[in-house]
Order: sequence, then C-alpha cells, then structure tokens
Amino acid sequence: MAQAPKEFSVVGKRITRIDAYERVTGQAHYTGDIQLPGMLYARVLRSTVPHAKIISIDVSKAEKLPGVRAIIHHGNAQIPWSSGGHTHQRFIFNNPVRYVGDPVAAVAATDRHIAEDALKLIEVKFEKLPHVLDANEALKPDAAKITPNGNLSVGKGSFSAPIEESWGDVEKGFKEADRVFEDTYITKHVNNAQLERRVSIAKWDAGKLTVYASTQGVSNARADIAKDFNLPLSRVRVVCKYMGGGFGNKNQAQDYDYMAAMLAKVAAQPVKLEFTREDDYIGMHGRWSSEQHYKIGVKKDGTITAVSLDAVTNMGAYRKQSGNLSGTDFYQIPNFRKHIKPVHTNTVVAANYRAPAYPQSVFGFASFLDQIAHEMEVNPVDMFMRNRIQKYKSRTPFTSNHLDECITEGSKRIGWSEKWHKPGALGGAKKHGIGMALGGYPFRPGLGAATIRVNPDGTAHVLVGVTDIGTGAKTTMAIIAAEALGIPLSQIQLTNGDTDVTPYSVGESGSRTTPFTGPAVIAAAEDVRRQIFNLAAAQLKVKPEELDLRDGEVFVRATPAQKLPLARVVARAGELIGRATTNPSFKDVEGKSFAAHFAEVEVDAWTGHVTITRYVAVHDSGTIINRLPAESQIKGGVTQGIGMAFSEELIIDRLTATPINPNYRDAKVPTHLESPEIEVVFIEHYDSFGPFGGKVVGEPPITPAVATIANAIFNATGKRFKELPITPDKIVRAVRV
Amino acid sequence: MKTFENIDAKSVKEAVALLQKFHQQKKSASVVGGGSEYLQLMKDHVVEPDYVINLKTIPGLDYIKEERGGVRIGALAKLADIEEHPVIREKLVILSDAAGVAASPQIRNAGTIAGNICQRPFCWYFRSSSFNCLRKGGQVCYTVTGDGRFHAILGGGPSYIVHPSDTAPALVALGAQIKTAGPAGEKTLPLEKFFVLPSVDYKRENILNPGEIVSEIYVPIPKPGSKGFYHKVRERLAWDHAIVAIATMVESAGGVVRDARVVMGGVAPIPWRGK
Repeated sequence: MAQAPKEFSVVGKRITRIDAYERVTGQAHYTGDIQLPGMLYARVLRSTVPHAKIISIDVSKAEKLPGVRAIIHHGNAQIPWSSGGHTHQRFIFNNPVRYVGDPVAAVAATDRHIAEDALKLIEVKFEKLPHVLDANEALKPDAAKITPNGNLSVGKGSFSAPIEESWGDVEKGFKEADRVFEDTYITKHVNNAQLERRVSIAKWDAGKLTVYASTQGVSNARADIAKDFNLPLSRVRVVCKYMGGGFGNKNQAQDYDYMAAMLAKVAAQPVKLEFTREDDYIGMHGRWSSEQHYKIGVKKDGTITAVSLDAVTNMGAYRKQSGNLSGTDFYQIPNFRKHIKPVHTNTVVAANYRAPAYPQSVFGFASFLDQIAHEMEVNPVDMFMRNRIQKYKSRTPFTSNHLDECITEGSKRIGWSEKWHKPGALGGAKKHGIGMALGGYPFRPGLGAATIRVNPDGTAHVLVGVTDIGTGAKTTMAIIAAEALGIPLSQIQLTNGDTDVTPYSVGESGSRTTPFTGPAVIAAAEDVRRQIFNLAAAQLKVKPEELDLRDGEVFVRATPAQKLPLARVVARAGELIGRATTNPSFKDVEGKSFAAHFAEVEVDAWTGHVTITRYVAVHDSGTIINRLPAESQIKGGVTQGIGMAFSEELIIDRLTATPINPNYRDAKVPTHLESPEIEVVFIEHYDSFGPFGGKVVGEPPITPAVATIANAIFNATGKRFKELPITPDKIVRAVRV
Repeated sequence: MKTFENIDAKSVKEAVALLQKFHQQKKSASVVGGGSEYLQLMKDHVVEPDYVINLKTIPGLDYIKEERGGVRIGALAKLADIEEHPVIREKLVILSDAAGVAASPQIRNAGTIAGNICQRPFCWYFRSSSFNCLRKGGQVCYTVTGDGRFHAILGGGPSYIVHPSDTAPALVALGAQIKTAGPAGEKTLPLEKFFVLPSVDYKRENILNPGEIVSEIYVPIPKPGSKGFYHKVRERLAWDHAIVAIATMVESAGGVVRDARVVMGGVAPIPWRGK
C-alpha cells in the first residue's frame, strides 16, 4: 500500500465522472439501448396465487400467435438458480410456486407487444395450497409449510438459521445495569427502486453464451451462469458498460438473465428480456422487513452494560440473502447476544438493498437508545458519544476510527447545544425538533485485478471489471490509476465491464470496489512503472530506483532537470503492460467507515407532515478519492432513508396475497421536494489500509438516516414511533392537538 | 399493450361522430388529450381501445378567454397554462392554485383541464391488472376486504374510490359550468352535476355517455369581496394525490357572508360539497 504522500495530484479533488457527458446527452448505451440483428423480445408470466402446485401449463394457443418464437416454463426449462435461494433449491421456474409473482413461463416474440399478448394465452392450472403472509404466523407449528424443512429458513454458513452471535455474559451485564429496558421495533419491506428497470440480452454463438446484463458484477454474473448452465467460464461472456442502478438487487446473475439465455437457445436468435416496473418490484427483491425486540441494560450515565436482540426477519418465499440485523455494530457493547430468525412467507423475496442489515436495525437500536436517553435524562449526544464503538466486538482495534469527531463536528454544525430541548416541550401546531444517530459500514479488502496498458504516446488504457452502478466507480479507478501511475487523468482511457476483456472485479456491492479493485489498480500501476523505469534508466544512464514518474514525465528524483516525456520511453518498447491480482487481508484489525447524522425537523401536528429543515451528514471514510460522486452518494443514501422513514412500504393485499403498490407512484418513493439541502462533511484521516488512505463510501450514508429522522421527530413531538413508515396518519393520531 | 389505431381528429364534430360510429360497431374507442393519464390506463390494462381519437390535432381547443363576467376555458387548455394565466391568477386564484399542485411539472405541461376533470380513479386495485374489481366489471370492491387507507370516507359504496382531481373541487367551489358535445348536440350543466356517485352507477365517474366529450369549462368571475382558498394535503409534495383537499369560496359584503362554498377533494367519489 502506498504511503501517504504530502499532496495528491488527482485524488481528493472534485472531478466530473469520465462518462458524465455520454450519460446526460443520451449517448451512453445502456443494456436497454442495445439492438442486435434478429433480436426477439421477451416477457415473463407470473403466478397469480401465493402457494400452489402447477398441475398443467398449456402453451398451445400462445405458440400459435404469429411472431411467437419460443416459450419456456418449468416443464421444458429446469434451470437451477443457485444464487436465488440458499436453503432449498430454487429454479427459474418453480413448482410449487411460492408467492404471487413467482415466474411460471417466459415468451420470446418478434416484438414486445406480441410477447405480452402471448402471456395472456398461456393457460395454467394451479392446485392451491395453504399460504402464510405474516412472519410470526409462519413460525407457528401449524403454519403452511413453504419449504420441505418448514418456514424457519435453514441453510449453511451465513444462511444458517437462526442467526446467532454473542460475547461476554448478558445476564451478568443486566445484573450490573442500573436499569434494564425492553421494547420492540418494526420495519417494512422496501424496494430498491433503482431507476433502471432490469433488462437482459442473451446471444449464443457456436456454443458460447454472451449476456448483455444490467448487472452490478460481470464477473460473478458470469460465474453464476457458467455454474447453472454447466458451461466452462471460457464459454460465457457478460457485458455491462453502463448501468442505471441496482442498490444490491442486480448483483450476480438473476433468473431473467437465465430466461433470456434459455429463450435465445430455443429460438436460436438473440433475446432481450425487459421488466416492467411492476416486474421489478415483485419479481426481484427489496429490503427484509423485521420485528426487533431489544433488551438493553444501562448505567445511570447511560453507559450500556448489555444488549440482547431477539428478532424475526421476513425473507419472503426464497432465502436469497442473510436476513441479518447489524445496527448494534456502531456501539461499544461489553455483553452481547443476538438471536435472529429469518423466516419464509409466501410473499415477495427480500434480499440485498444498500447496507442490507443496517438501516432497519439502526432504526430499531438507535431509536431505542434515544428513548433510553430520554428516560435516563441523558442528552442524546452524550448517550451516543459515550456508547460509540471503540473496538470491534469489544476486542479488535479498527484500522481507523474517527466516529467521535463525526459526532462532535455534526453536533456543532446542526447547533445541537443551542437547539436541543426536552422532547415535545415546545408547544404550537408546528413542532421543532432535532435528532441524531450513528452509522457506517464494514471496510475490508479482498480479491481484485487490473491491467494497465501504456501506449507508445504515453497515454494509458486501464482495464477493470467494474460496472459502475452510479457510484462513479469507473472514475474512481481512473483517478487511482492516474495517481498511482503519475500521468494526468486526461491521458487515461478506462475500459470496464466485459468478462472477455477486463479482469476480475468483485462488482459493485458491499462497498467493495474501492478496497478490492483499487489496490489492484495501484499494483498494476507499480508493475508498469517498474518496466518504465527499467527502460528509462538505460536512456538516462541512471539506476531504475533513482527515477520517478509524475505528470507524464520520467525524471531523476535527485536532479529533476534530467527527464524524459513518457512517450519517449515507451515508444522504444512499443507498448508496456502492467498487471496485478491482489488479495490482501486484515490481520488482527477490523475496518469500518463511520458516520453520524443529524436532522432538524418541523412536524405539522394538524396534517402529520414532517419537513426536514436541515440535515447534516458527517462521514469518516478515510481519504475521499473523488469528492463529487462521494457527496452524491451521501445525499442519495440520505434520500433513500427519507423515503424509508416517511412513506415507502410494499403493501400486500391480505385477501389475495397480491402486492397492490408495486410502482413509484403508490410505493411512495420520495421526490426532490422531500429532501432538504443535505450538508455533507467528510472527516478525512488517511487510513493506511485502504488505497490512497480511503475506506468505503457507498453504503454508510443510508445506515443512520432513518433513525436520525425518527429521533428528530421524537424530539419534536415527544412521541416515539416504533413502526415504519412514519406516515402522517400515525403522527396525527399520536400528537392530538 | 393491445394494438390500436390512432386517428387525428380535425374537429369536435368529427371526434364525436367517430366515437358514435365505433360505439355502434361495438368497437372500443376513446378520445385522448394530453395522453399522460390515458397512457397509464392502457399500460395498466384498465382500457384496451381499438381506436384512439387524438384531440390535440383540433385547432383552437385550448383557449382561455375572459368574456361576459366569466372565463371560458377550452377542454384542451393545459394545466400549466391555466396555472400561469394572468386572468386566472388574478380573478380565479383557487383554480390557479389547484392546477399548480396537480401531478408534477412534466404532467402539467401536457395534461389538459378536461383530462384532469375526467381522470379515472387512482385506487390501487382499479389500476392493477391483478384485480378485476367491481368498477371494472368484477364482483368485488377490494377496498372492503383490503387496504382502503386512501379511499372514500364520505359518499362511498358499493365502490369506495375518491375522485383524484385537484381542479374539480376548485371549479365546483367557483360554481363552474361544463359544456359537453355529443351526437345530440351541445349540453351545458353545472359542474357539480357532472359527477356520478357509485350508489347511482359504480362503473362510471361522470355523466358522459358513449359519443360525448367535454368541450369547455365556464367559470363565472366571483363577485368583488370574494375570497377563496385551495389547500392540498398529501404524503409526497409532488406527484401525489390528495389525502384530503379543500377548496373554499366565500362571498361577503359589508362584513356579512352572502355565500360560501366548501368543497372537499380526496375524500369522496365526487368533489364533495360541504353542506
């Protein structure tokens, strides 16, 4: 890892994304823009019943519709979807179907309207089975069984159920407490609501499958497809150059990628499968809902002595991800126990959505801490500062931890000491309040790869497997390359997202691109610099170790006047290629980015409407590699938290088990008007464990947002809301004027 | 989406004649103004017309004219134009306010006053192709057994939709009149009488019969000393229908209230006159 230089050339500035112009002028080719000769269009038929055996599927009428070229269903396309379910085998078409929306068939036709019409002609006979929608009901012994093993989701490793973790001795901790509190917090299923609806194009050429996917990770999508289609990796190519967001629901390959591939094989023509927004809400996944029961022991000054968490998380019909709740991660808890039951219900699947285990559990835990602070008459700022995490699981130090600075800086900027008042103390119909919460996200290293080709004219071509889901990853990697190489950013060309061309990247998920792929870019740069210095040493008649490269010029460090333009050095060799695969690990140390958020609200007691008048987000993410997208990341995460706090929820009709608001209009995704001017502050301390001292930025911002707003509402009204979303009717009922 | 044919009408007479012809041929046909609402209905499979009759190609239907103590507004006048028109802002301010909080800026630039008044309910069961509800010809109003949190608290039954328009309550508070064109000629009636309660007919929201379209809104200018108010309460500050909306007009002279109208939106299947 490079040492902290006195000043960076490129890192740490506000740089417009390298592909911004293409994106805003409509020139960028997203997956949906790709047209291939002979391409067909596909649509998916979904179950209209929550739990049923498919007795028969009759596609004869659909097949006769002019323009229909292929129809697949569980009868003729038994493709496993390994990453779609980890506790019992999930296929792209399942029998029995386990939720309203479970795919039953897919049609490819010469245009999308014919494909849609064909769906209506497919006749499916269902034999209904009993179903269960509620997580607590699903745990009862007589509940409808969704998997052979019942509804408590059982698997291996990170999918074992229940999720259990503990350290210290909680019973002892509760005895040491001056007071012990218990309460329950409830959160709902919220869709990722990424702007780009998913789309996949599949094409076969002589036994090789190419998938143009709207995916967060071309490498892991390729691995999934190769595994489930029983193909060698060399015969699978996944491409994603431009992508319109996913927030965790486009990682790896998904069932619609497989359907497109299967339809393309049957029809012997390329197939583009497109989701409507409704498909996206129902057919994919959102954040798992939860019921969190906390028992917390505290001393008189608010110091936590013990925490016990019992929870149920609703994973929907299939167990695609962990179902964990990790909101306690940001606190120093000497005695801890958690027991979480991930549960199956016959509903839309829940899986990863930006910081999957955090915003819902930070809402629960930070709200409860704020409540306890109130009852113990401790100021929330002191409560959070006193209990902030200092060592991971009480024993392992962090690579860097400036959470205390985040709290101090944020409380100063929001004007905490001037503005804070006893909760609900201010009268009137428009009630003012302020609140705060802590957040962050794990930062750890892993496998990454990069190739850098330096051209004879001194420009460079960086090849990385990143897809850039809106994080600006392409620009971040280019900046890291420019800084590590010593050439201007304008001389860098970046190629991304093609498994035939670019090397491995873990993909944009888990905030892992910068810590995983960043070091690989640096190592690849160092590799090609060595080659450059070996060549230049001969030309300048010095030893290679005496040389440096900056701003595209190779020079002797001791006597900078002795220099050569990079082009002069490389031209002799033709082209130089630097490459690296890196896989560092942390030993005896843990990494985390930290954050403290503060909000000021005005609650209208008559209408229940909440206006956020100020929002301050303070983040410890080490060196900020590129300020502009980093700030946007923070603002985006906060806005998602606003939606989750106030309005977003997937509502399922209890009579028919059918989602009734699977779209932006009715799931109440927030608009610009819901969000205030968000003030972003970075507490920057170089963390030597990250590329150029940087930690992670992607997921931390959403984690404290919901709790911050909920705590501000409590301060304004004196009423604690323990169930999301905090809609106007709930506020009005609680705050009768 | 089902295949359909688009016909660009050149006059109101032609549009009416076409509607009547297709109705007699038992084909489904609709007129389209701005289209933002109609396109949604088509994509949600609430309507599947054989013919779509485009009204935007009829010249001069988007007028806003002050004459004879009132303002005449053509059916295709856009919400954005109504919001910003100087006469409406000055003399019919609650209409300007209501038009200004409808939907979103993009929709207001394309949406018409007639379309806004005639818009179909945004009940999530009605708009979902997964539910063949009572209003669409099915057996059941799903809000009764399901989630009716945004539905009618007044005047509902057997269907519990709420009328989603912002301009309609404001116009009723202003005592507006609506003119329709049809096979039998033109008809003018108070806007208040345009809307239909589900207890009367749960398959329709207004009195338009096949072949009839809205051609004009006429709003009398309130007497001097009148004051009005339009307020919309909603969850999201843009692109959201009212949880409840209030349009009021109070006419007073010499400190005495002569006439007052309070009309509620978002709470009943029709703009609800408080009495």
